[in-house]
Amino acid sequence: MHTHGKRHRSWIAISVMIASMFACRGQDAPMAMGATGKAPPAGSGAEAPGAPAPGSWPLPGRNAQGWRYSPLAQITADNVRNLEVAWTFSTGTARGFEGQPLVVDSTMYVVSPYPNHVFALDLTKVGGPVKWHYLPATAPASQGEACCDVVNRGASYADGKVVFNRLDDHTVALDAKTGKVVWDTKLDSIEEGATMTMAPLIADNEVLVGNSGAELGVHGWAAALDLGSGKVLWRAYSTGPDSEVKIGPDFKPYYPQYKGKDLGVSTWPPDQWKLGGGTVWGWMTYDPELDMIYYGTANPGVWNPDMRPGDNLWSAGLFARDPKTGNARWAYQFTPHDSWDYDGVNENIPVDLTIGGQQRKVVVHFDRNGFAYTIDRLTGQVLVAQPYQSLNWATGVNPQTGKPDRVPSKETHQGVNTTDICPSSTGARDQQPAAFSPRTSLFYTPSTDLCMDYKGLKASYIAGTPYVGADVRMYAGPGGWNGRGQMIAWDATTGKKVWTITERFPVWSGPVVTGSDVLFYGTMDGWFKAVNARTGQELWKFKVGSGIVGNPMTYLGPDGKQYVAVYSGIGGWAGAIALGLSADDPTAALGATGAMPDLPKYTAPGGMLYVFELP
Amino acid sequence: MRRAPNVVASLAVAAALLAAACKPEQGASANASVTSASSGGMDYHITPTASNGVRPGIHPSVVFGEIRNPYAGNAAAATEGRQLFVQYNCSGCHGGRAGGAMGPSLRDSLWIYGNSDPQLFGTIVEGRSAGMPAWGGRIPPDQIWKLITYIRTLGTPAEPDAPPPESDVPIPK
Repeated sequence: MHTHGKRHRSWIAISVMIASMFACRGQDAPMAMGATGKAPPAGSGAEAPGAPAPGSWPLPGRNAQGWRYSPLAQITADNVRNLEVAWTFSTGTARGFEGQPLVVDSTMYVVSPYPNHVFALDLTKVGGPVKWHYLPATAPASQGEACCDVVNRGASYADGKVVFNRLDDHTVALDAKTGKVVWDTKLDSIEEGATMTMAPLIADNEVLVGNSGAELGVHGWAAALDLGSGKVLWRAYSTGPDSEVKIGPDFKPYYPQYKGKDLGVSTWPPDQWKLGGGTVWGWMTYDPELDMIYYGTANPGVWNPDMRPGDNLWSAGLFARDPKTGNARWAYQFTPHDSWDYDGVNENIPVDLTIGGQQRKVVVHFDRNGFAYTIDRLTGQVLVAQPYQSLNWATGVNPQTGKPDRVPSKETHQGVNTTDICPSSTGARDQQPAAFSPRTSLFYTPSTDLCMDYKGLKASYIAGTPYVGADVRMYAGPGGWNGRGQMIAWDATTGKKVWTITERFPVWSGPVVTGSDVLFYGTMDGWFKAVNARTGQELWKFKVGSGIVGNPMTYLGPDGKQYVAVYSGIGGWAGAIALGLSADDPTAALGATGAMPDLPKYTAPGGMLYVFELP
Repeated sequence: MRRAPNVVASLAVAAALLAAACKPEQGASANASVTSASSGGMDYHITPTASNGVRPGIHPSVVFGEIRNPYAGNAAAATEGRQLFVQYNCSGCHGGRAGGAMGPSLRDSLWIYGNSDPQLFGTIVEGRSAGMPAWGGRIPPDQIWKLITYIRTLGTPAEPDAPPPESDVPIPK
């Protein structure tokens, strides 16, 4: 039996507040200022460089930086209690809706989980009728290759094209006016276990994409496609020799353990890097000011860590790359030799913050491993690393080395059942993205509070089948069964929580924060909520049909009114049990069902879009 | 192509009648047309049938005859089947104790493509369009029957390496 008491709380994480103590290397680095000019200091309420039109939402996180912030302010803390349903739309697909709709030029674009329906809805007409519908020939067999439900995290819009990924590894650009295919590029193969679930990011006429499948021994990569033609401009693998990882003379990592030739080979047993995962299925971000892209890499393959001694670079880490060439500029590894499935895929949000009295250009990253990192985005130096969720696999992050101080008793091994590890494999956060408000200067991160027992097993590689090698059981963390999830307001300059809202189930929905300091998010048991972004006070809630694992967005309709939209459709990894798994097997869904046996009492599958308005 | 062993693929949709290596108690039904096929050096005796078991105007018993798993109820075969279930990564898709994950649960009462012995055998050999790989040519017929023997024990007292009893699973209040 598991006891989850105070002993979980004895883990002291050491702050990595070093900005004020060390000479700032970022100051010496060349400043590649873009044409968009200098970013305003946080707190001013000003949008990030290159922000889209105020009422639109053309990219997954609205801006290329992934802030999930909208300046719209018609819906306020005072009037949000009057919010009501404007219209709804059923997609006919009842699986996990992890993405968000887009709105550009009075049209809403919706992408469903497999088979990846794309709908364009006409916002100029009452009830949002279908302008066009595109159903790709996505291979049915791809359903058997997707580790964690057949999800899709949405599309990106630019230059009259809607670009999305099919589960069977095609990136497709549709003409936004007609729904006709402009180009269709196949990038990987389901026969090898690879799928594509992430939302492409369009930045500077490039479509940035990556693959999924680190649970199937897939070789992870990110790629850039030409927006006009779909031609692959570059592809960078996450493991392997420098030539494949695109590490060359431009590569200037901050920490010494990342310096050396072909570390993506030498930090693995022979040839294991070829099955080494490190897939790129999270939210990518782009900083137009420094002209750099940022993305995280997934867990190393195989889950059983004894089969891959070494740091397993460049899995469970972060790359900063030049979008034109794909060449790596710097890298950082959150979890060396990951032994728990702590992917590093969570988004890296570029913001400018005042840390230790100095203005710093940083990315902020909430990792699966439970630490939130504030990292200099020019150099890769960790400035702040503090736990935002209960964790006990490490006591902190060493400021000198950038490495976590690991707790030996929480390491996992083949044939050994290591118990009471926090967080669980689903992480302190999984795919669900954070938001940043330039008005409050706070980050808003969804979170999961689960722990686990983890036993490594010898795994055999059979292409196209899972390559996991772990028997995992998850259960509620220190927050208890009534507190398996949280919405957290976070000060990334100090690494401290400002407020926390506790939810019964993991919060698997990324929030949107508005110009009137209202924060919207959903819960797995189907509540769509509005809270005060400054205080966390609940202002309004509405029960949708199926649990929410997607991300709300807000837009200005052609009538000049502010609307808020969200998908209702339970699924994804933590939500898998609601899709028909058996609760009497706690190891089902890679151990997630054990932590969620009561979810089917609260929700059942669905696939609806809800749009809300003030009366 | 890995997912469709050549000979099996040519048979469109089929269910196995029996494996050459095994001697079922009764022979193939005279009403079922037996085709001998070989895949990857392994012999599968298969007959074309409908993947979902529905053949208009023909009762399933006519199609499937009296074919049964030669290891039915055999505890040693179930234990071996459990090991094979992990070894062939079945557990990766169907869950550590077959409760489901990427693939459907095998513990519940819902069987998308039927749960007669020939249907289960056919599902494993040929795969199914929604993602089940075709294991014909990879798993010998004898081992497939052992896997089926294990699957039959799920949720019963005979289940080897069963999940912890409910009393040991923390259930939220």
